[in-house]
Amino acid sequence: MNLGFESTDIITLLPEIFLLTMACFILVVDVYLPEKLRHLTYQLAQGTLVGTLLLVISIYPSSLTLAMDNMFINDAMGALLKLVILAIVFVVFLYSRSYLQVRNILKGEYFVLGLFATLGMLIMVSAHNLLIIYLGLELMSLSLYAMVAMHRDSAQAAEAAMKYFILGALASGMLLYGMSILYGVTGNLDLAAIATNISDADSNKHTALVFGLVFIVIGLAFKLGAVPFHMWIPDVYQGAPTAITLFISSAPKIAAFAILMRLLVDGLSSLYVDWQGMLILLSILSMATGNIIAIAQTNIKRMFAYSTISHVGFLMLGVLSANQAGYAASLFYIITYSLMGLGGFGMILLLSRVGFEAENLDDFKGLNERSPWYAFIMLILMLSMAGVPPLLGFWAKWSVLNQVIQAGFIWLAVLAVLFAVIGAFYYLRIIKLMYFDKSEDRTPIEANMDMKITLSINGLIILFLGLMPDMLMAKCLKVLQVLI
Amino acid sequence: MKNIYLIIVLAPLLGAIIAGLFNVSRRVAHTVTIGAVGISFLLSLVVFKHIILEGNPAFNEILYTWLTIGNGSFSLPFEVGFLVDSLTAIMMLVVTFVSLMVHIYTVGYMHDDPGYQRFFSYISLFTFSMLMLVMSNNFLQLFFGWEAVGLVSYLLIGFWYTRETAIYANLKAFLVNRVGDFGFLLGIAMVLMYFGSLNYTEVFGYVQQNEELVQNATINLIPGYQWSIMTVTCILLFIGAMGKSAQVPLHVWLPDSMEGPTPISALIHAATMVTAGIFMVARMSPLFELSETALSFVLVIGAITALFMGFLGLVQNDIKRVVAYSTLSQLGYMTVALGASAYAAGIFHLFTHAFFKALLFLAAGAVIIAMHHEQDIRKMGGLKKYMPITYWVSLIGTLALIGAPPFAGFFSKDAIIHAVAHSDRIGANFAYFAVLFGVFITALYSFRLFFLVFHGKERMDEHTRHHITGTPKVVWIPLVALAIPSVLAGMFAIGPMLYGNLFDGAIFVEHSHQAFHADDYHGWFFFMLHGFMQLPLWFAAAGVGVAYYLYMKEPDLPELIKGRFDTTYSILIDKYGFDRFNDWFFAGGSRNIGTKLWQSGDVKWIDGVFVNGSANLVGWFSSTVRYVQTGFLYHYAFAMILGLAVLLALFVF
Amino acid sequence: MIKILFYFFALILIFAATRVVTVRNPVHAALFLILAFFSSAAVWLLLHAEFLAIALILVYVGAVMVLFLFVIMMLDVNLVRLREGFTRYLPVGILVSALILLQMVLVLRYWNTTEVIATTMVEIPNTTLLGMALYTTYLYPFEIAAAILLVAMIAAITLTMRARRSNKYQKPEQQVNVRRADRVRLVKMLPESRD
Repeated sequence: MNLGFESTDIITLLPEIFLLTMACFILVVDVYLPEKLRHLTYQLAQGTLVGTLLLVISIYPSSLTLAMDNMFINDAMGALLKLVILAIVFVVFLYSRSYLQVRNILKGEYFVLGLFATLGMLIMVSAHNLLIIYLGLELMSLSLYAMVAMHRDSAQAAEAAMKYFILGALASGMLLYGMSILYGVTGNLDLAAIATNISDADSNKHTALVFGLVFIVIGLAFKLGAVPFHMWIPDVYQGAPTAITLFISSAPKIAAFAILMRLLVDGLSSLYVDWQGMLILLSILSMATGNIIAIAQTNIKRMFAYSTISHVGFLMLGVLSANQAGYAASLFYIITYSLMGLGGFGMILLLSRVGFEAENLDDFKGLNERSPWYAFIMLILMLSMAGVPPLLGFWAKWSVLNQVIQAGFIWLAVLAVLFAVIGAFYYLRIIKLMYFDKSEDRTPIEANMDMKITLSINGLIILFLGLMPDMLMAKCLKVLQVLI
Repeated sequence: MKNIYLIIVLAPLLGAIIAGLFNVSRRVAHTVTIGAVGISFLLSLVVFKHIILEGNPAFNEILYTWLTIGNGSFSLPFEVGFLVDSLTAIMMLVVTFVSLMVHIYTVGYMHDDPGYQRFFSYISLFTFSMLMLVMSNNFLQLFFGWEAVGLVSYLLIGFWYTRETAIYANLKAFLVNRVGDFGFLLGIAMVLMYFGSLNYTEVFGYVQQNEELVQNATINLIPGYQWSIMTVTCILLFIGAMGKSAQVPLHVWLPDSMEGPTPISALIHAATMVTAGIFMVARMSPLFELSETALSFVLVIGAITALFMGFLGLVQNDIKRVVAYSTLSQLGYMTVALGASAYAAGIFHLFTHAFFKALLFLAAGAVIIAMHHEQDIRKMGGLKKYMPITYWVSLIGTLALIGAPPFAGFFSKDAIIHAVAHSDRIGANFAYFAVLFGVFITALYSFRLFFLVFHGKERMDEHTRHHITGTPKVVWIPLVALAIPSVLAGMFAIGPMLYGNLFDGAIFVEHSHQAFHADDYHGWFFFMLHGFMQLPLWFAAAGVGVAYYLYMKEPDLPELIKGRFDTTYSILIDKYGFDRFNDWFFAGGSRNIGTKLWQSGDVKWIDGVFVNGSANLVGWFSSTVRYVQTGFLYHYAFAMILGLAVLLALFVF
Repeated sequence: MIKILFYFFALILIFAATRVVTVRNPVHAALFLILAFFSSAAVWLLLHAEFLAIALILVYVGAVMVLFLFVIMMLDVNLVRLREGFTRYLPVGILVSALILLQMVLVLRYWNTTEVIATTMVEIPNTTLLGMALYTTYLYPFEIAAAILLVAMIAAITLTMRARRSNKYQKPEQQVNVRRADRVRLVKMLPESRD
């Protein structure tokens, strides 16, 4: 009897299976743990992530492997993205712990939902089938909605969760509709089959395909947060507890990038002329809106939200050049972005304490007097986000711009640089606040040692990778060679 | 060996960081930096033995690639790499030795200065930068070292930053060097444009293989005129050397740089940094050899510097400035050697000059300490009995400087004059005359200084006379240590450097340009004997004689001469008007233009319209557009639907 | 025979569906909705889609509609106000219905009757086929869907169940351990003077 999968598939899926099992295990264990031993939940969750990470490494593919009736793909790009996602979630949990603890929302559910969301991301990363992409996306989104709403004493969080949920459902619906059209035209859910079917499709199917493509691109744009499908981002980032914002802003973007690659590159590469045009439009809008509106923000979480939007615009520049080097540049960008975002929100968490959210730009005033070291780390992060050489952020911007120019869109590159310059303003403003303004708050910074160390490493990595960007760039190029 | 090279370079950097960035005590600061430079010096000795004495092949390796730009047909790596051959090994030895001596000397000289740690940090940083410069294997790192030594020089000239003159001097040095660096950078750009590479090996290798092709390559700078690429490139590169090695007309910064502490004058403005230009041209010899025009240019500039800067030494009364003008003149000699294709002779003079000029500066510094920071030689005299060690080492240094046998300077200077005499390049006759007459001038001003300081009437006031201090140990040890090579360096180095094959592979000379032939050479002693029958030596002797007559026998005569040749004297005092012209034309002119541009361009257009205008526009736009983010869910959903409609309209229909 | 049965159930379905929106009493409407579900389940059975039919009855009639009734009864809806909007919204309702009707006509015009699957696969039961597909080919998405449902459950519980801070309850283990010294303090003081 055809079981639909080979026994070797189990090994290929081992990381996901392990993660699911452990998530269920933690869910049960947490119920029975006495309050004193609650920290075990945290350790178990972190252990799970490390275990999954090791499993991903141990089955790191030398070539492209398909499993579960071609629904699951294990390739180098997927493996790299999974590693990054797992590492980031690990750091997110680490940063969030004390923040959530003092706000009484450090519950087992946080970690369980976090792990389920991570599972959803892994599934998205290695999806090779429209159905799986959708299911993975829903698994992730559903967990995220719940996480945003977890802080029930906060009306802001509830509002944010509501907006996130409804708009997310709308976007999912559009994505699903696009997929259904794709299925209707090609008669296939499998990405490879769709790709072959489209490449020899007759031209009168083209309109229908592009019609579906628009909906798919919108679904993706929503998840990434590209203008005009970005409206949820500022509200959710601001409304959600900072630890959750940290989660939402980092790993899920990588997963969204993964399905963008799977859908547009793996599945619909023959339609690249069409999606290229759409991405150009979205990219310009995102860079413009993100960078310009960020200037007027006084809440740093909201500012980071708009900064994210502008980064998404830059990210798309690489993809829209529609060649391997361009994808590699985008891959480089998304990894860089998540490292920087991680550090940025990490700093907010570091400065927050009981009854005080370091949410306003003014809370960064005179940080240099309070703690020169963290001011320096923040300096690195801000300069990197602004794209100042030799930090990692500069290389990320540089490589996508380079690809855009190579693809022949010089005007687009000029426009992008223009917006980057405008964007530099609000990053530099934070530096000005930190170094040149007097602090109103003189409390010393208190945090766990593990958080302090990780945050410092987080910042320094951006500096060091910036000094030898070739290392990461070569890796990005290499994993993509297997892909195509 | 790679690790040794790395340690040589990085040890001073580490020392500089520790002394400069961490709030360490004076003791720690000088221990760490002296230790670091000491390590570099010892390891440089090892390298010297490895490369020169044992004749091992040159080391050429890329250690670190920062990034690569471009791909496919054109790619340019930004690398850090070392090329250590005989030329480099000699430079490393000179740099680390003089630097070590200066470090030790500084302990005494800067004893009471509040910026003690800063000073040590700077000179260690300088040592690092200079080593990066000489050890580089590509133009980019060369440029890095070039700018880094320039930066440290700037910092050190303005070390006493509360003095207005020091600030003026370091700004001047900075600006004048920018002119040179601009040429240098253009030269590097030309190299990159034509050869497509910045690596020495690749560039020189290409030159050697396609000599004809390279020599005949032309470029169209002004429509209608074809210029030889090599000539343009070499002259541009040499403009860089003119800035750094203070050749006319970019020499104006060097005398003023004496505002810095004396150890710096010895290390940076006599022995090492100012010779970077000479080193660079010697390193680029495969390129310069291809352009007769460029070499003539070098020759004439060098000759002008050698002679006319020497004249200025005659009328100066500041002890350090006299030595500074002599440095200028000697740098001119080195440049002349380069112009005559006698690169080896240039490097040889660089090598000997580093020792005796550092010695002279440090001795001048010792005198300045003893005189409680009095620098005017008219207020000195008869110091011989107060400071005997300084007296004797100064005598050695002076004799070496004027080229008296068998001191080091004799061999190198004679070699240069010999090379110029044998050159048939355009301008060589003028250059021969200049260097020959220069020998007389050198002897005259050197002994003028010597006699006025150490002999004759004691012209200082009573108070100072009573407080003339002895020379501390940390001061005289370096003096003696520098005196030894000032005596010996010439006789031992002349054979291998000029007539041997030491520089094979490092310096390239066309066969027809060779001035030194191994079969003409029968040992340093015969070279010396031969010197007795040559003009230069007698010119030098005449110079000493005239100095003795004017300043010892008839001390009133100079005043008389000054009165008689009033015009000449004021031209000399005016330093040929370079400074006045620069101040009026360049500084004044650019300030004028600047003010005009500032008022009309900056204030009105850039500040008013572009900067503030665009910032205001963006700010206004931003604060307006943010209201799109209403917070209402249905507005958000509506925006999404609108986006959908637009995308559909644009891409489907 | 099947045709007669189909028309029978279809008529009941249309009748029930119409009553759902026309009856005044919401409880009656809900009951009519149940009838509509039953009828459509019967139509599906005629099409050999027995699994869908049973699932419809189990899920919608058994769970959803019961919940619905609970809600209606608990909310105690004001019937008159509910009716008020009927005529006002009627034009919109008619428009929507007309659109749906139009769409269905358009779809049915291109309907290829030769490809009706149900008639060709009578031998293997529909449930078996679905099960086969779900647990073999579609095992992976099936499992993910299960995980999604689990997350939904966790999320629902997390967001609604909470131990209220105002709740007061005894902690016997602490009560037992209480000692006199914790509760009673003996204070020695001088008697106050009377004046």
